[in-house]
Amino acid sequence: MSATTTSPAETPKKKRAVSGRTRRWRWVLVGFLAVLVLMSVLEVVTGASDLTSSGAIGATFIAVMPILLAGLGGLWSERAGVVNIGLEGMMILGTYGAGFFGYHYGPWVGILGAIGMGMIGGLIHAVATVVFGVDHIISGVAINIIALGAVQYLASLTFVGLEGGGQTQSPKIGDIPTITIGPLSDAFGSMEDTDLFFVSQLGAVLRALTTNLSWLVVIGLLLVLGTWWVLWRTSFGLRLRSCGESPSAAETLGVAVLRYKFIAVLVSGGLAGLAGGFLAIVASSNYRDGQTGGRGYIGLAAMIFGNWRPGGLLAGSGLFGYTETLGLRQGGTSVHALLLLLAVVGVALAVWQVRRGGFVTAGALVVGAAALFAVYLSTDTVPGDFTRMTPYVITLLVLTAAAQRLRAPAAVGEVYRKGSAG
Amino acid sequence: MGRTTKFAAAAAASILVLTGCGSNSDDGDSGNGGGGGGDGSGSDVKVGLAYDVGGRGDQSFNDSAAAGLDQAIEEYGVESSESEAEDGEAETAREERLRTFAEAGFDPIVAVGFAYSSAVGVVAAEYPEVHFAIIDDSANELDNVSNLVFAEEQGSFLVGAAAALKSETGTVGFVGGVETPLIQKFEAGYVAGAEAVNPDIEVDVTYLTQVPDFSGFADPARGKTAAQGMFDGGADIVYHAAGGSGGGVFEAAAESDNLAIGVDSDQYNTADPSVQDVIFTSMLKNVDVAVYTFLTEFVENDGEVEPGTTTYDLSVDGVGYSTANEALIGEFETQLDEFKQQIIDGEITVPDAP
Repeated sequence: MSATTTSPAETPKKKRAVSGRTRRWRWVLVGFLAVLVLMSVLEVVTGASDLTSSGAIGATFIAVMPILLAGLGGLWSERAGVVNIGLEGMMILGTYGAGFFGYHYGPWVGILGAIGMGMIGGLIHAVATVVFGVDHIISGVAINIIALGAVQYLASLTFVGLEGGGQTQSPKIGDIPTITIGPLSDAFGSMEDTDLFFVSQLGAVLRALTTNLSWLVVIGLLLVLGTWWVLWRTSFGLRLRSCGESPSAAETLGVAVLRYKFIAVLVSGGLAGLAGGFLAIVASSNYRDGQTGGRGYIGLAAMIFGNWRPGGLLAGSGLFGYTETLGLRQGGTSVHALLLLLAVVGVALAVWQVRRGGFVTAGALVVGAAALFAVYLSTDTVPGDFTRMTPYVITLLVLTAAAQRLRAPAAVGEVYRKGSAG
Repeated sequence: MGRTTKFAAAAAASILVLTGCGSNSDDGDSGNGGGGGGDGSGSDVKVGLAYDVGGRGDQSFNDSAAAGLDQAIEEYGVESSESEAEDGEAETAREERLRTFAEAGFDPIVAVGFAYSSAVGVVAAEYPEVHFAIIDDSANELDNVSNLVFAEEQGSFLVGAAAALKSETGTVGFVGGVETPLIQKFEAGYVAGAEAVNPDIEVDVTYLTQVPDFSGFADPARGKTAAQGMFDGGADIVYHAAGGSGGGVFEAAAESDNLAIGVDSDQYNTADPSVQDVIFTSMLKNVDVAVYTFLTEFVENDGEVEPGTTTYDLSVDGVGYSTANEALIGEFETQLDEFKQQIIDGEITVPDAP
């Protein structure tokens, strides 16, 4: 979903861009089907049936969303040049907002409350970094610390004495409605149960999409699309991104840099708050002290993984959420199967390296792949200590491979003062 | 480069701030003195109770300790003062809390939770005349420290047996919060109990996080995912020893029409009505029994208590299982009580490590 790098030599620009976009969508579809075929083969070879069960895929949606939304928050902020390490704190504020407003006024108001609380965090960050020029990291870390203390204080004020509530948790919040398309769900369900190669796996994915799919998941995915559209297809987005690339150039061209940065950080806070709200209302059903568990930081990492682009962020958080879910569900066998996949991918990368002349790298990859394959053959399951590491290890591996191509917004993290362009 | 330094500076500053908060606000004594119970003998014993994070009203561990204290107040008219820990506070804040009690003439001083382990060690050495008790920890070997620990594996054995008796699929699950030796005790007992009933039973075991990541005790979303995975994999009953993450386990059970087993307190009574029916039973860890027994001994022997470690097990009702969900657990009570008797008699030895 990136802006195409059409070279100026190619004359009919408009036509070129359109066909490029269609081709990209086709690639996305082909990629998805290829992954599904790969997983089907893996499932047949290893017998790890949870890899593509509709349960695992449904749970993946839930696991991905908080990371995705937090990462989207990071994307807005960093595209405007402000590092937002305070995402975790804004998420924490969001979980409280969801708990308080969700309990008193219902889940949808809870979502709004979560966004609002997250925006308060964003407002603090914006005032500190944009208006007063405080270092972005210091302000973000301060927000993480203040948010934790603030919600603990607020929780002891507002949840103690309520039935089911207390200092560390809110009472139960109502559920956001889910979408189940009855006939389709049943049809795909029987498709999943056929045990036919690929058909069963495709059925599982489609079934997960048509059964108990939370509206908030749909909204979250639309927000990814919306972010892409606003930031890359509108002049507002172009100006906002120019603040992250070269604020002084933007200012000389008449862009109100500080205002754009301020708005971006506010939106960032709102999205992080929504991530917290999702965690409290959909992924579980109450506010719980400490429930974010570092997901804000993972969101930030997923955004970097995705090269500061919505599509890449979706892939990054998807990969992380999927492997985490597999590890939590039937971790021993599923992660064991992934070892084989990693070994095969290692060999494939080695072949690719040989063709490019990277013999040392290729050798290292083959050794690594052989080691993984040996572990795969000599064990039946992976112990729990390692299944918990899977998402981190895989993310790290992919990041290592992709890091050479990553490019952050040029002026991210720099404090910009009004008039510096002059 | 500069960023790292700034990060470190910010972190250091925050620690200072938090420490300051901790030691300033810790001694919010609720001044519960004066022998609340009418029929008390007006004992001159002054009990200091130091809670872990959450304090009175946490519907769990601390509340249970408070119940034991309340019973002693009722019974013996002891005076008491309470104070609770802040989340993430420094070690020195805990020590200071205990020291304040000791300085003010409180004796005995009861510390709730293993987090106080080293603080009790330090302060008990400073005040050899004062008696200390610590719950859930047996690291201290001083003459004035009583360690009150529980045989969690025995209670877990009973709920494991109950799960195996009830299970129709022959698969049950265990969700642990964080993989620590303490939580492994729960797992070991549970597995042993299930296998005592059905040697062929399959027990799925998942821990949400590994030390030093303790978020597994407060992450209902992960608890729900893990339990859903077990139910999808054929389990029909899941036991959780995962603190706050347990709420997610209950939800997963409710959504898939399966059953769950609670932990520590009788969660049938405290859970949200929407998940109440799926709570088959709970492994009870009666902290109140330990606190009350300790205080009773102290009052009746004029301040003479056995130092060292006392394990509260099935024989003294330190642990047990709940029968609150009568409709489900009722039919198995006879068999479970037989197991209980066999454990008490020493005919069954329950392992405390997997």
